[in-house]
Amino acid sequence: MKPLARIAALFAAAALGLMPLSSHVEPQTSARDAGTEFMVSTGETGRPGGRLVVSLRAEPKTLNPVTFADTSSKLVIWRMMADLIHINRYTQQPEPALAKSWTVSPDGRKYTLKLRHGLRFSDGLPLTADDVVFSFQVYLDESVHAPQRDLLIVAGKPITIRRLDTETVQFELAAPYGPGLRLFDGFAILPRHLLEGPYRAGKFEQVWSPTSPATEIAGAGPFRLKEYVPGQRLVLDRNPFYWKQDQKGTRLPYLNELVFLFIPNEDAQVLRFQSGDIDMISRVSALNFSMLQGKPATAGYNLADAGPSLEWSFLFFNLNDLSKKNLPQIAGKQKWFSNNVFRRAVSLAVDREGIVRLIYQGRATPIWSPVTPGNKQWFDQRLPHPARSLDQARQLLRNAGFSWNSEATLVDAEKQPIEFSIVVSSSNAERSKISTIIQDDLRQLGMRVTVVPLESRALLSRVLDSSDYEACVLGLASGDADPNADSNVWLSDGSTHLWNLHRDSPPSSWEAEIDALMREQLTARTFAERKKAFDRVQELLAENQPVIFLVSPHVLIGVKKELGNFKPAVMDPVDLWNVEEFFWKAR
Amino acid sequence: MTYVTRRILHMLFLLFGVSVISFVFISLAPGNYVDEMRLNPQISSETVNALKAQYGLDRSTPVRYWQWLKSLTRGDMGYSFAYNQSATSLIWPRAVNTLLLTVSATILAWLLAIPIGIWSAERRGHFDDRIISAATGSLLAVPDLLVALALLWFAARTHILPTGGMVSLDFDSFSFTGKLKDLAAHLALPVAALALGMAPILVRHVRAAVTEVLRSPFYLAAAGHGIPRSTLLFRYALRAAANPLISLLGFSIGSLLSASMLVEVVLGWPGLGPLLLEAILARDLYVVIGAIMLSTLFLACGSFTADLLLYWQDPRIRTQ
Amino acid sequence: MEMKSNRKYLWLLGALAVLHAAILLAGFIAPYDEAAQNREMPFSPPMRIHFVDSAGHFHVRPFVYGWKHPQDDFTVYDVDQDQVYPLHFFVPGAPYKLANLFRTNTHFFGVDAPGSIFLFGADQFGRDVFSRTLRGGQISLLAGLLAAGLALTLGTILGGLAGYYGGWWDAILMRGAELFLALPWLYLLFAVRAFLPLQVEPKQAFLLLVAIIGLVGWARPARLIRGVVLSARERDFVRAARGFGASDLYILRRHVLPQAGGVILTQAALLVPQYVLAEITLSFLGLGVGEPVPTWGNMLASLMQVHILESYWWMIAPGVASIPFFLGYMALANALEKRARLAAT
Repeated sequence: MKPLARIAALFAAAALGLMPLSSHVEPQTSARDAGTEFMVSTGETGRPGGRLVVSLRAEPKTLNPVTFADTSSKLVIWRMMADLIHINRYTQQPEPALAKSWTVSPDGRKYTLKLRHGLRFSDGLPLTADDVVFSFQVYLDESVHAPQRDLLIVAGKPITIRRLDTETVQFELAAPYGPGLRLFDGFAILPRHLLEGPYRAGKFEQVWSPTSPATEIAGAGPFRLKEYVPGQRLVLDRNPFYWKQDQKGTRLPYLNELVFLFIPNEDAQVLRFQSGDIDMISRVSALNFSMLQGKPATAGYNLADAGPSLEWSFLFFNLNDLSKKNLPQIAGKQKWFSNNVFRRAVSLAVDREGIVRLIYQGRATPIWSPVTPGNKQWFDQRLPHPARSLDQARQLLRNAGFSWNSEATLVDAEKQPIEFSIVVSSSNAERSKISTIIQDDLRQLGMRVTVVPLESRALLSRVLDSSDYEACVLGLASGDADPNADSNVWLSDGSTHLWNLHRDSPPSSWEAEIDALMREQLTARTFAERKKAFDRVQELLAENQPVIFLVSPHVLIGVKKELGNFKPAVMDPVDLWNVEEFFWKAR
Repeated sequence: MTYVTRRILHMLFLLFGVSVISFVFISLAPGNYVDEMRLNPQISSETVNALKAQYGLDRSTPVRYWQWLKSLTRGDMGYSFAYNQSATSLIWPRAVNTLLLTVSATILAWLLAIPIGIWSAERRGHFDDRIISAATGSLLAVPDLLVALALLWFAARTHILPTGGMVSLDFDSFSFTGKLKDLAAHLALPVAALALGMAPILVRHVRAAVTEVLRSPFYLAAAGHGIPRSTLLFRYALRAAANPLISLLGFSIGSLLSASMLVEVVLGWPGLGPLLLEAILARDLYVVIGAIMLSTLFLACGSFTADLLLYWQDPRIRTQ
Repeated sequence: MEMKSNRKYLWLLGALAVLHAAILLAGFIAPYDEAAQNREMPFSPPMRIHFVDSAGHFHVRPFVYGWKHPQDDFTVYDVDQDQVYPLHFFVPGAPYKLANLFRTNTHFFGVDAPGSIFLFGADQFGRDVFSRTLRGGQISLLAGLLAAGLALTLGTILGGLAGYYGGWWDAILMRGAELFLALPWLYLLFAVRAFLPLQVEPKQAFLLLVAIIGLVGWARPARLIRGVVLSARERDFVRAARGFGASDLYILRRHVLPQAGGVILTQAALLVPQYVLAEITLSFLGLGVGEPVPTWGNMLASLMQVHILESYWWMIAPGVASIPFFLGYMALANALEKRARLAAT
């Protein structure tokens, strides 16, 4: 679009009341942009204008990119923010963002990043190395309580950051870092001119709530805050200073507005999608997805099944050291749970295909490892996928000293019947149903299983604090395709090593091997070495089944057909990761 | 006058009692706000503990209660962990929306219930009474949530009414009457869902109370005097049947803030419901307490209103 | 007039007795175990019982047709007239306890393998909705009657005391009622659930929770009854009785509470459905009965999803089944009230 035409369009939009001209500075001429080193989008060239309406199940709690803790806030914040190097959600690979290029020192400990020239925050003020240094100072400050801070501790030491010139910064790590450039993803660059004051005053955690005036919030993402109506909606409008453009030189984003409606209930979301109130619906349950698919009313929609997500659901038994807790009944059952033959038999009896068919109507994939087939780089195809076999399961149990009494109940060597309960979060319908299937599968082995649905905090306090549970079905969604993000799940002293928490040393040799492999992948320099280490971790998990992997639900998204450049990914945010490229085709 | 001061003292006592017991209950319930974070493998336990300390979740219940009382004297109902905002600023705008919805629905339900209940009592045992009984009975057997969902589904199918929310996206650009119309259209579904849930109970009570009166000697005598039936029913019978209905009205007023929680969630009404449900499940302590205190206040006001009405309406009680 | 009313009353009692007998003998009438899954038939639609086959021949023994899946899509069901499964009566099947007393495995009807008979269709796990509706009634009705009984008994006693004695009694009891109405009981239920050991049967845990709800539910009926008693005690004949030196208990029992009879019975008929449905909210919060035990509450809770309304309408069966019960209770409340009045005059 010609500059003049663009200004005319802006005025037209303003006259229609779509954009407030008052609070934000608009770029005046393209001459000023001439120096900007744009990133050029590889997507289809589209047309500017229009708004996209999406829905959120919960309201964003804050717009503070450092302290947020919930997914709704994250989704909104990251439409307004940008990081130095970004993981492309589709390719799952790091790519330049605010940093246009970088060099890594031969010892793998120094990263020198070069910023794009001419970067501006959404309030029009320039973004320089000082902002970058300030941002990381905030993330690393313990008094701010940034959840991301832990990612900046490498080999036990916080990384250090140095400004080399206004457009160059250097990061120094205490040790080489396997995931490499992925380190920089997820650290939004903050405007020092707006936030240094509150930070110095110790009020950083209170800044940038959704109710803050739009002029006080600025980021380098494609959109900026326009309006927040409590309980109803949050509206973002286009950041006129964004640093991406399309192949014809039009500055992105194409959309003028991005509207988040707060609709707390999935069914209401589905109905409002059907009636056309919202343009896109993601995280649809498989049953609702099938329903939408069968409807002629949704002929104008594109219902995308992007395949297995990075989420994996699993069954685990309580293997915690209960000697200091007064839980004799559970401790008595641990002789079964800690027997890996028992766990393997359970795994063999679970009808993963049945779960996929009955609960997900075919829209999930059975898994035998935490790396789902949706993870392009790390999925290990050589891992065995033993088919369900009750006979083999019985054989294993028999060899391990279990037997069946006259009522066909499975009993152990001391003739004690095998009975246990599975706790599951009641707020997750699909996982509750998975437990019902498992219960029925294990009944066929003669085990008496009860399913105990618990409200999610009650469940977490049992699993994380009191260890008062026998077995549990849970799901975790990997934050990144790189397995290092889930280290704390596999390290035997990790904070999310759910089935066996607070161990000072690995209880067995294979667990010690996993610990060593996880440390190896963290510092290994090449991808091949890291992959080899993590493949071995997966083999050990498959052999010993500390957790029994079940299924990975697919990413299901419905969207209006006219939305251009829509490209669902399996990494979060699956739907809006490239929202700056979205545009409305003629309709 | 002394009566009123006594009632206000009662109310303060009630608020105090509810706040103490609520704190105890909530601390008995397992889990706390930061638990969810502990499932994220990328957050270390040190960070979680630091947050816990910052929110005061590591302190004992009496200490937390004392601090909450202190903050009350500053006119602040505490702080939402999730939103990093004061609970008051979260609750107020939403409570207003909830009231808009529930007041409309309550008025509608009463306007429906009184004539239907009286009619049903008058036609006791006849065909129309049976139809009404069967209808109210069936409505009672259907959960409110299902009614809400079915209405929503109907709206999505027919495109007659907007499917949820409180106003259209372009609300700000409408004229004044346009705004009113838009709001009314959005109110229609949730009001209908709520009123359908409330009305059957009211109809049944009105019918029971009026039936009682219709059989009383004074009424039979009045009927014998040839007073027109509508005057008879609405002037005399309704007035005489008022006592239990006034207690019921007290409940209606008392539950204005709490009646619509699930309907709001299903129909996306931006009231207290979604906020409160989320806060309950997330253990966002002070938001829950704030909402409980506010609805306790309403409840107390409701029963106060009912007692005043009873006093004014029934001379027999006034003699006390 | 009186004769007719009496006969109606008997009819009503008879109908309610039949309904309850069906629930009590659920194991016998239901063709399947409530938890038995048929993973080949998720969401099987209800099957029709036929007497006339596709060729137009009449059969004395009724039969059902099997299903086939067109285009191998397991979510679509078509009648397959090549599979004919005649109904058999008094057939052996899954073991159960008749009326919770006798162990047996005889079911009223069934079809031979590999056929299945789903009169009300099947749920997502291929479980028979007919069998589940019958079995679900057992826990739900028990819970509803138990909780309503508890709430009403307490409510009547406390409401009666408050209304009759007035003064301090009234102030304390009614402020207490307000306190009970205002408290966040959900948290108490969370806490109780947390303190219950996991080994407790889901059914028992649920009944305990419902009992708690019933125990704390006295406040509402108490307030209503108090209103009635408040005005009843000032009636002339009550004053007269008091003047004659009648004891308080006598006056309450003979003169005041009968006045409140209408309110009490109306409340009773309203509370039972309320408590049966309360489980929907409870299971929403993870406090309901766990799978695979069916109750009307958890069956209705699972039905509150758009895709079910839209595609699997037969899942509403427990809701439809509960309506005759609730209507029956209401009619019974009416009839009892009428009888009490007739007896009094």
